[in-house]
Formats: sequence, C-alpha cells, structure tokens
Amino acid sequence: MMDAAADRRGGTRRTARVVQYVAIALALVWSLAPVYWMLATSFKTELEAARLAPTPWPLRPTLDNYRGLFGGSLPFLAFFVNTVVTCLATAIVAVIIATPAAYALSRARFRLRAATGYAMLVFRMLPLVVLLAPLYLLLLNARLLDTHTGLVVGFATFGLPFAVWMLKSFVDAVPIEVEEAARVDGYRRWQILFRVVVPLILPGLLTTGTFVFMEAWNNLIYPLTFVTTLEKQTLPAALVLTFTGQFKTDWGGMMAAATLTTLPLMIAFFAVQRSMVRGLTSGAVAGA
Amino acid sequence: MRVALAGNSRRPAARTAERIPWFDTMVLPSAGVLAIVVGYPVVYTLVLSAEDYNLIGTTPPRFVGGDNFAKLVHDPTFWQALGNTLVYTFGSVAIAALLGLALALLTERASGRAGRIVRALLLTPWAVPFVVVAFLFRYMYLQNGGAINALLLAAGVIDTPISWLNVASLALPAVMVTNVWAMTPFFFLLLAAALAGIPNEVIESARVDRARGWSLVVGIKLPFLRNALLVGCLLMIIANFNDFAKIWAMTQGGPGYATTTLVVYVYRQAFESFAIGYASAIGVVWLALLLVFAFAYLRALRVR
Amino acid sequence: MHGSRSARRRSLAVAGVLMLALAAPGGAQAADKVTITFANWASAEATTKPAIEKVIAAFEAAHPDIVVKSEAMSFSEIARTLALRVRSGNPPDVAQLAGNDTFLIAATGKLEPLSAYIDAKLESQIKRDALTGLSYRGKLIAFPWTLAPAGLWYDKAILQKAGLDPQRPPTTIDELTKAMAAIRKSQPDVIPLGLDTTNRPFALQSNWPWMATFGADPLGAQHGDSAQMKQYLGWMRDLAKNRYIDPGRKIGEFRPLAAQDKVAFIWDQVLLQGVIQNANKMSDADFYQRWGVTTQPAGPTGKSFSFEGGHQLVLFADSKQKKAAWQFIQYLATSPEAIRDYTLGPGASLPPLVKMPTPELEKKLDTPIFQAFTQTIIPTVTTPPYGPAFASASSAIMAGVQQAVTGSEAIDQVAGSIQQQLNRR
Repeated sequence: MMDAAADRRGGTRRTARVVQYVAIALALVWSLAPVYWMLATSFKTELEAARLAPTPWPLRPTLDNYRGLFGGSLPFLAFFVNTVVTCLATAIVAVIIATPAAYALSRARFRLRAATGYAMLVFRMLPLVVLLAPLYLLLLNARLLDTHTGLVVGFATFGLPFAVWMLKSFVDAVPIEVEEAARVDGYRRWQILFRVVVPLILPGLLTTGTFVFMEAWNNLIYPLTFVTTLEKQTLPAALVLTFTGQFKTDWGGMMAAATLTTLPLMIAFFAVQRSMVRGLTSGAVAGA
Repeated sequence: MRVALAGNSRRPAARTAERIPWFDTMVLPSAGVLAIVVGYPVVYTLVLSAEDYNLIGTTPPRFVGGDNFAKLVHDPTFWQALGNTLVYTFGSVAIAALLGLALALLTERASGRAGRIVRALLLTPWAVPFVVVAFLFRYMYLQNGGAINALLLAAGVIDTPISWLNVASLALPAVMVTNVWAMTPFFFLLLAAALAGIPNEVIESARVDRARGWSLVVGIKLPFLRNALLVGCLLMIIANFNDFAKIWAMTQGGPGYATTTLVVYVYRQAFESFAIGYASAIGVVWLALLLVFAFAYLRALRVR
Repeated sequence: MHGSRSARRRSLAVAGVLMLALAAPGGAQAADKVTITFANWASAEATTKPAIEKVIAAFEAAHPDIVVKSEAMSFSEIARTLALRVRSGNPPDVAQLAGNDTFLIAATGKLEPLSAYIDAKLESQIKRDALTGLSYRGKLIAFPWTLAPAGLWYDKAILQKAGLDPQRPPTTIDELTKAMAAIRKSQPDVIPLGLDTTNRPFALQSNWPWMATFGADPLGAQHGDSAQMKQYLGWMRDLAKNRYIDPGRKIGEFRPLAAQDKVAFIWDQVLLQGVIQNANKMSDADFYQRWGVTTQPAGPTGKSFSFEGGHQLVLFADSKQKKAAWQFIQYLATSPEAIRDYTLGPGASLPPLVKMPTPELEKKLDTPIFQAFTQTIIPTVTTPPYGPAFASASSAIMAGVQQAVTGSEAIDQVAGSIQQQLNRR
C-alpha cells in the first residue's frame, strides 16, 4: 500500500523505525527492571540483600529464601491456596451475579434504570477504610468472620459493581438482531440471556473475571481484618504479617515471597491475555 | 467501554410495553447483594458522620450534627490531604494514560511472535500485586543500599545518594512514579485493544487522503480511542482515590504529611485515633466529591 | 449451542466445588475441654512461631483440660483489629500487646483488672518496675510477659577504626556527636547512628527517651514548641544534615546492616543480639568481643532514659474462661519452660522475674549484654503518657520530627506546627 510519496520518504521512515525500536527497548527496561530486581534479590543471601552497596546480580546465588518459605515455620503453601481459592471464587461469583444485571441494564427498560446504573458506580467510590468497621459487624453477625466465604463476600463488595459495569458494555456490543430470532422461537428472557448472549460474550466474561480476580488479589486490608487464623490468611496479607514484623526486614525473604505472590497472577494473566484483548476489542472499548 | 451508560443508550429498547416498570428482576441479585453488603455500611457511615464517636472510648456515641464537618473545614491536614489526593490521583492517571497511549501506538504494528512477547512483557507490571510493588519500590528507593541511588551514582547523575521517600518535595513524586509504573499497563492493554478495534477501512481511507504519521494519529485514531481513554481514566481515578496499600507501605503518609492522602488520613483517624465519627465525616465528603466529579464527567462525555 | 451448554455446566460444577471447599467446617472440639483464644503476633512471625507453638503445646500438655487457639495478627495491626473486635463484642480471651497499644485497648474499659489475680507469692517474684508502668486509671490492666528496654549498642571494631576507645562508649550527647563525626570521617560507608524515624507509634516510643534527655515533654506541662523540644529537633536536624542517621529506615532495616558492621551505634532492644547472630552466624564469644551496650548518652538534663519495648499479656473482661486464661498468662510469663523456650529464645528479651526459677536459667542470663540491660539500662526506663491521646499525638509529633529531619522550614516553625496539631485534638 505504499505510494510514491512514501517511497521518497524512505529515509525518514527508517529513522522513525529506529526511534520506535529504541523507544520500545526503553519501555521494556522501564517495565522489567523492577521485576528483575525483585527476582535477583530473591536469590541473594540475607546479608547480600541488605548491603549498603547493592550487587547488580546475586554473587552467591542461593535458594535459601525459597526454602525458607516452604520449609519454614509459616504455611506459605496454605496462604497460596487460600488466595487462589478466594480470588477465583470471587471472580466466578461476581460474574455470575453481575451478568443478569448487566443484561437488564443494557436491554430492559425500567424507570430506575439510570438510578441503578449510577448507584452501581457510586458503590465503587466508597472509601474502603470507612466501610471496614460496619462490614466487620455485618460479617460477625452473619458468622462469616475468619472464613473464606466471608472474604469472598468482602471482595465481592468491590468486584460486583465493577463487573456489572464492564459486562454491560459487552452486552451493549451484541447486536439486538441476534436476540430477535431467539425471541421468535419462543425463548424467554433468561433463556435468551444464557443461551444466546452469554456464549457471545464469553471473552468479555473472562476479561471481567480477570479484572475482579486481580482486584481481589490486591485487597490487603480485608484479609488483615477479617481473618484471624494464620492458616486461613491470604498471600498479600501474609506478606505484611510476616515481613513487617518486629525483628528485621529480610529483603531477600520478602522478595522471594513477593515473587511467589506475583507469579500466579502473572501466569493467569498471560494465559487469558489473548482472549482479554479479544474481549476488550469486541466489547468494552469498541462502541464509539 | 461504552459511555452510553444507563439512561442514554441509543439502542432501541427491547420491549415496547405500554407501562414501563419501575424495576427489573434481573438486576435484583446484584442490587440485593450490594444493598446488604454496601448499602448498610453506607447508611451506617452517614449516621456516624454526625456523631462524636470514639471506638475505644467508654462514652457512647453522641449526636453532634454538623460538628464533624465544621471541624473538617478548619483542619489544615485535611486540606493538605485533599490536595495530595488530587495531585496523586490526577497526576498519576494522566501520566499513566499518556504512557499507555504511547506504548499502544508504538507497538501497534508489532505483529507475530516477537510482537506478542513484547506486548506480554510490557504488561508484566500489572500482574505485580500492589503490596509487592510498594515493598519493592521502597527497597529500591532506599537512601543507602537502594538500587535507584546506586544506579544514579554509578552513572554520575548524582554525587550523594538521595533519600527519595524522606524529602518532603520528592516523596509524593516518588510514590507517583511507583503508581504510574503499576498502572500504565492497564491503559496500554485498553488502548491497544481499542486501536485493534478501529475498522481497517477507516485507516485505509485516511491513507488515501494522505494522512499519515502524526496527523493520522491525532486526526483519525485518537477520536476512536477517546471513549476507551476517558472511561479508563474515570475508573482509575476512582480506584486511585482508594489507593492505600502503596502509600501506606512506602511512606505511611510521611515525611510530615507530604504523602498523606485522604485514604491515609482517614485510616489514621479511624484506626490510630479511633475517631470513627470524624473519619466517617471525611468519608462522606470524599464520596460527595467523587459523585460530583463522576456526574460531571459522564455529563461531559455524553454531550461531546 | 450444545457446546456452550456443556461448558456452562462445567463452569457451574467448578463453582459448586469451590463453594463446598469454602464451606468446609473449621474443626470441632471435644465438649469437655475449655478453649481459650490467644491473639498474638508471636505466631505470625517466622522468628518466634516455633517457640510460641512449643510453649503452647507444653502448656496444653500440663493442662489437659485447656485448649489454646492461637490467632495470628500483624504486630502493626493488632490494636486496630482488637479495638474492632472489642466493640463488636467478639474479643479473644488473652492477647499479646506492647507499648501504647496496651493502653489503647485498656481505654475501651474491656480489660479485666488483674490485681485480684496476683497473690502475694507471685507478686514477690515479679520485678517491681515491671508492674508499675502497667496501670490505667488506677487499675493494673496488663501482666508483664517480657521486658525489652532499648540501649545504645556500639560496634567496638568501628569505634576502634575511628580512633575512639572501644571500651568507653559516649556518655553524653556531645561525646556521641563527636564520635559520630569521627566515624563519618574515617568510615564513610558506615551509618553512624541507627535510629527509627518512621511515622509509627513505635517510633515515638523509641524517640521518647531522646526527647526526655533534652528535657522535652511534648505531651506534658510543657508543649510541643518548648525551648527543649526545639533543641531536640535542632539536634535531629543536625544528625540528618551531617548524614549521621538514615532517615525513614525502620529499626528492623538497620539490623541486617549492623550484622555487617555497617552501623556504629544503634538504639535497640535486647533482641538485636539474636538477629545479628542469626544473620552472620557469629559465636557468642565473638559477639561480646565485637558489640557492647550501654545507657543512652545524657543530654542537657544530664540524665539517661530508655523505653520499655517489652510485651504484655492482657485478659479480656468479657472472657468466659478467665480462670483458664489466667493460668495461661501466668504460665507464659513465669514458667521455666516458657522462659527458656520463648522469652530467652530466638526473639530474646528479659523475663519480668526478680530471680530465675532454675539455676540453669540463671546461668543463661549471665552474659555481658543481659547484665548491662538488667543492671544499668532497666533503671533508666521512662514511661511516656500512654493512652488514646498518645496514639493521635504520635503521628503529629513524628510528622514534626520528620519535617525537622528532612525538611527546610525553620525549627521554630516545625515546633509550632506540632503544637498546633496537638491543640487540635
């Protein structure tokens, strides 16, 4: 598709390309350097990690920090499982509950629709810290304190409105004609939703679920407040619990635990990344 | 994300019933859950904001009307925290959005295996949990023994190590850099997807019209990215108002009050001074601010 | 359509399994046993977890009718969590607390006064000083578990290299300042003084003795902007300007550096020895050769001070198992097993007893470090005016200290803003 004018400006093009590559390289360094530092530190000995003149890479690479996590006195494997289970459950529950609401907000006509839509947004704006005390009381009365179910309820507080919002935009992108055929066939609304719309927005469900999952994973203050049994604690909270203690800051051990906390998220994220892009392209950002 | 939020969908309504119902049963599960889990705490917070209530005191809560709000007006730390929150939120969202946009445009035509890998690598910071981000950057920012100072010293940029997180004028920018690092991939992903969603015909016809380089970006692509960009910004602004883990783990709001944002101030009021009533009043003001902002923002989007 | 339906069924099945996993019961207990809950951070940290678990197991073995359920909480979050639990009517039976947190929780009025529980025999075993600081509104509300005052540790090798007498650590602030100047000059890569200047209640507790030795008492009769306070803030600013301290570092971040001889003086508790030896595997003999600890160098008041950073045990008034809970408290603080495995264990601190229950323990305490703490440092302990006011004051005062250390406003202005903050409370 290159026309004659472009041919003449081939030199400028090449310069532009070089600039582009340099820029991408810089962006990669910016994105990856801190991650490299986390990894490198996690393989340093305790003393090397605390040196006043930091070493650019581990001089005496060691697995002690990781061994300490799994062989030590703290149940890091349990923390890990707890986090995966609660965050996954939050994502699934939030997406399941949010889908009909998103569908209704997109398609149905009812007087409180605008109000409901704004209310959902408002829920996201509430200061987490202020909600802590009332939410604690609520979970206490529901006998859900120190349970994973209670954590999922807490996480869902923030995940749900977000999921409704995001899913609505995916439903918006589904052409209405698709539903007409089903309606002619005598399908009811719920059937249309689950048999026609949901299969079409699967990438959207996955994308939304991933966002909710990551938000739950990032939530620190809820597990620290609602979970009292160490064995039920989540990884990010355990990181705070065990590495900001009274004795010392063990950077090597902390970075090993940090790597462990990051890894599952990274894997999950790369696994769904392609369908996320597909989801975002088809739904969330397409409507202009 | 579609800006056509509730109430202004240009799509024809699915049903044309004579009487429009007030509510829709399909919203019920979500609305029900939220009414209990969030609605109750919100009402509770509103009530508390009009009370003098100390969580650890032995005196019962006392109704004081608007006293907490009056106190707020004369509290310089509140105003400083509000200012910090605005700088932190809008500053980091704006920078992250611009960087994300630049990355999306840069990698737009990187295709194939290499392109996929580059894109995946650029997204890595997003997979790092906030608490890890905070610990990691605190470690890198250390005055003695921090990687950033070591690097700058070795490169000859500085002569003496800088205490990034402990100089009043540097602490907030340093925390914002951390925040931008963690947030940029969100915009990158969103905008890359939006770019991919621009119909080919649009680009082709623009080419025929001799639009290329900068003019192609500004004239043709940006309008297509507008919605994604603006809604992404809204979501991130709301999220950043609530950003606690990063600031708390890095500076605890210090030095002095240099990085004390509203959420940090509320936390200190609620759980160090245990002044729950006062903390709730700050929460109410905060909610009102965000509401007004979001409403105006959505209005502005709709009008175009 | 068919494929998507089975996909849906599959995902529902996954969700169902997850829900079942979530709903799994937490474990039932035998009916004839008494269960007490113990909120603590000892079991949350790798250093102390094995020790506390061993002691709890030993207690359960000695008291077969009692089960202890340990609830791990973060050291920095325990006051917040306990206050929330007390107000929600869901407190534990026993909790580990320290410093101002003890008095915060006491302010709820939900701690059981302990005087009635302590008989004459027990009272005679406990150090007097250990009990005096633990009253709130005239009632004894906590039992001393461990004592851990802070002293000025000094690295003799660094002093020697700086041309100072390693056997004569500084005794006044002036001598300390001179020593730090010599160290800075001879060893630029050494941090002369390890001092916690973060904005945490613990940091105010740790800096309180330094204010005291300047005669400052920001929460007492004089104010946050007294001449003494300004003098203290000015000294702190000089420390930062001359790069004698590393502002913003937590005390725990200094300790691994101390293990590599990169900190000359460090204002720290008994546990430093354990942390250093754990990191660099130094033998006891080498450690005593290298490190010494002494009282705080005296400032303008001519007096040395210290703070009590030890831990206390509290009993909640709403506990239904007070008898068992008290037995547990007493066991943790005074039994030879608990002292051997926990108190003198990896997180080393001092037992609150006048005399050790066994000769073996008496011998264990006979080290230069323990002796220095017991004989010279403990008598200098001063207790800040703990209570709810202290917590909110602490963030105001430490914010001011940070402004003095890192900012450029005039000291008068900084002191003025501290007092303004204090007035507003």
